[in-house]
Formats: sequence, C-alpha cells, structure tokens
Amino acid sequence: MGRITEYYHAASLEDAFAKAQQLRPAAAYVGGGVELILRRNPEITTLIDLSHCGLDYVTATGEGIEIGSQTTLTTISRSADIRQYAGGSLAWWAGRIAHNNLRDMITVGGAIGRNQPWNDMVPHLVALDAQVRLFDGAERIMPLAGYIEAKQPGAVIKGVLLPAGNAGSRGFLWRFTRTQQDISTLHFSALVSSDGKVMTAANLVFAGRPGHAALYPRLSEELVGKPLSHETFARVAEMAPDLVEVGTDLRATGEFRRELVRAAIVNLEEHMTGVAQ
Amino acid sequence: MTISITVNTVERSFAVQPDEVLLDVLRREGYLEVKGSCRSGDCGACTVLMDGRPVASCLTLAAKADGHVVTTVRGIGDQAHPHVLQEAFVRNGASQCGYCAPGAITSAKALLDENPDPSEEEIRLAMDSNYCRCTGYEQQIEAVLDAAAQLRQEARK
Repeated sequence: MGRITEYYHAASLEDAFAKAQQLRPAAAYVGGGVELILRRNPEITTLIDLSHCGLDYVTATGEGIEIGSQTTLTTISRSADIRQYAGGSLAWWAGRIAHNNLRDMITVGGAIGRNQPWNDMVPHLVALDAQVRLFDGAERIMPLAGYIEAKQPGAVIKGVLLPAGNAGSRGFLWRFTRTQQDISTLHFSALVSSDGKVMTAANLVFAGRPGHAALYPRLSEELVGKPLSHETFARVAEMAPDLVEVGTDLRATGEFRRELVRAAIVNLEEHMTGVAQ
Repeated sequence: MTISITVNTVERSFAVQPDEVLLDVLRREGYLEVKGSCRSGDCGACTVLMDGRPVASCLTLAAKADGHVVTTVRGIGDQAHPHVLQEAFVRNGASQCGYCAPGAITSAKALLDENPDPSEEEIRLAMDSNYCRCTGYEQQIEAVLDAAAQLRQEARK
C-alpha cells in the first residue's frame, strides 16, 4: 500500500459498491487483507472492508454449494458439504494452501479477486466449473473462467457457486513445486466423471505459468467417451505437452514444464484408475 | 481511527492508522510478547489468536481486528500461571532461543482447543506456520503431544 488514508467498513454490498464507484481507482475491497499488505499499491488510498456484509457462509442449495466471498480457506477446508463435493478435492487443497495462519486469513473472494499465483485456488475452482456471483448495482452470475479472462473492475465478488451437477465427479489437483508453500512451476487441476468404465465428462485446467490458468477442451475431448484405461491416458499424455501453453521464466523452462504436463496426466491416470504407472 | 479490541480478556481502545498492522499496534501498546520477524506472514513468530483462530498479526490490518477478541501468548499463560502447553514446551526442550515460542504455543493452543487428541500429522499441519531454527521441530511436536495428554488426563478428573 501507499498511504492509506481511510479504512471504510461497508454496511452492505450496495454501500461497498457505491463507495468503490465514488473513489475508483483509489479504492480496494478487503478480503483477508494479506495481499494488500504484501503487495502495496501506491494508487490505493481507501480500503473497503466487506466483513459486515454477511459474506462469510457456505450454503448448500439445489443449485449447488455457494461459498461467500469472505469465507476463509480454513472454513472451506472444514465444511462438511465441500468435503463431500467432487471427492473433496477443494476442501483438501484449501486445508493445505500456504500455512495454517494464512489459511485463517485468506478468503476465497480475495484469492479470486487478486488471482495471485501462489495459492492455486483459482485454477482448481475453474476445473470444478465454479461460477462467480458478482454485485455491480445488481447481482449477476458468470463462469469463473470468464471472470478471470475479463476482469470486472469495481464489481464486488459476492460468492462462488459450485454447481450441483458436478458433486459426484472426481476432482484432482497436482502441482509441481520446490516446496509445499512455493509458487507452482506447473499447476494441473481436473474434474472427471465416469460410470466406472467410461469417462462421461472431463475438465482439464493447466496453469502453464503461475496465474495463467486455462481450460483445455481439446484434451477433455480425448477423455470423454473413452474407457478408463492406460491407453486412453497414454494418448492424452502424449498430446498434452504440445497443446498446453507453457512459458519459460526464471522458475523453469518451457521444455521442463512440458515434461511436467506429461507427468500431470500420468498422475491423473493413477488417481482415476488406482494403478500407478 | 479508533478501534476496540478485547486483548487477553481486557477491552481496549487503540488509535490506529488505517494501514497499520495488528503486530505494530500490539507491540506499541506494550504486548511485547508478540514477536515480529519476517513481516511477510512466513515465519509465524507474530501469531496471535483472533476469535480463537491463529493469524499472522504482521499481515492482519489492525482495523480488521476491530470488534474482535485477540489472545496473545501471555493471555494463554504467564510465568506466574503457566499453561500446560508452556510447561510442556519447557519440559520437552521445545524452546531454545525462545523467539518462536510465543507463536508456536499460540498455534498449538488453537489446535488443542479444537482437537484435544491430535495425531502427530495434525500437529505438524496446525503448526506449519511456525518456523523454529533451534529445535528442529521434533521437541515441539513432543511438547504438544505431552500437553494434549495432560489436558485429557485433567479433563477426566
């Protein structure tokens, strides 16, 4: 932060949005506040606190599970509903991001709004087909994948919806890092449905570089309708390194990341078939 | 701006800057048992409990703590009335230079409040936020297991 001159406790979403509109771009919403302190933005002079807006909740409805944007990772990791959703992959990962203190501070809304590379929450939510509920004078809902492509400046993230249709699928997350708390060199998330023999739906998300998550429908097509067999996954493992957009940076070369892409698919095969390759 | 926080069961009001972090406010107000070190949420030395949950006070905006209950390691126990966890840390050699001990004990307290019989893995996960450069962690794990056993024994009496 530069010089913050005002800390504003918004009484409601309407209040928060009005204040942000009045001050933009000098205002920022506060989720857990972690990123605001770590990455100080000299343009920001007012912080808008959303903790009095009733956004700390996990609710299961017919539509799915809605997670309020002020819900912390610890709460997500402990939610019985989320632990049962898609094999519990989101709850498992939320309980391991960063470390214990930060998991009690970081909120899902903050993780999405900032989309910082280090916590890998966003790519996994994209794989789970999550939608984001926004407030910008009126409520609207849009796919999270679309939200991170075209940021909605000023809109308040009200919550994240995990669609009910995916509850019985299997979520999978694999990330390659030097240490558990480090930024991923490669992130891979998947959501796969099967009838026990044949895969009926699949989302594959790679973040070829941190913070650059994308769905790969071409790879999903190679899984859907195919048997849960070594041959199926071997074909995808052969194709994926050429399809996935990876980058070279100080952390790893593109060539190395392409090898990790192959390894990610091998790990997915093990997860889905129970057979180690 | 003025914030109200209940610190170690005492309600206090503090004048704070909008961008001040809780660590700085607590230390300025005399809670020197809260240690500052990395100031980037990595090391866990500054851990306090906010509404019973451990947080890194170096990354917690003081304004965000307004209206909440904060417990420092001294609120858990002091030299005159040490908590079972603090005694176990001493008995098991879990504190050498002692700088990380306030944060480590605070994280362990949050764990035992929720889970009186944690496994070693659960202890490691609950204390993964607390660096210790002296003990190699093993003694801290043993201390928490020791304290948990004692607390369970006391609860049965």
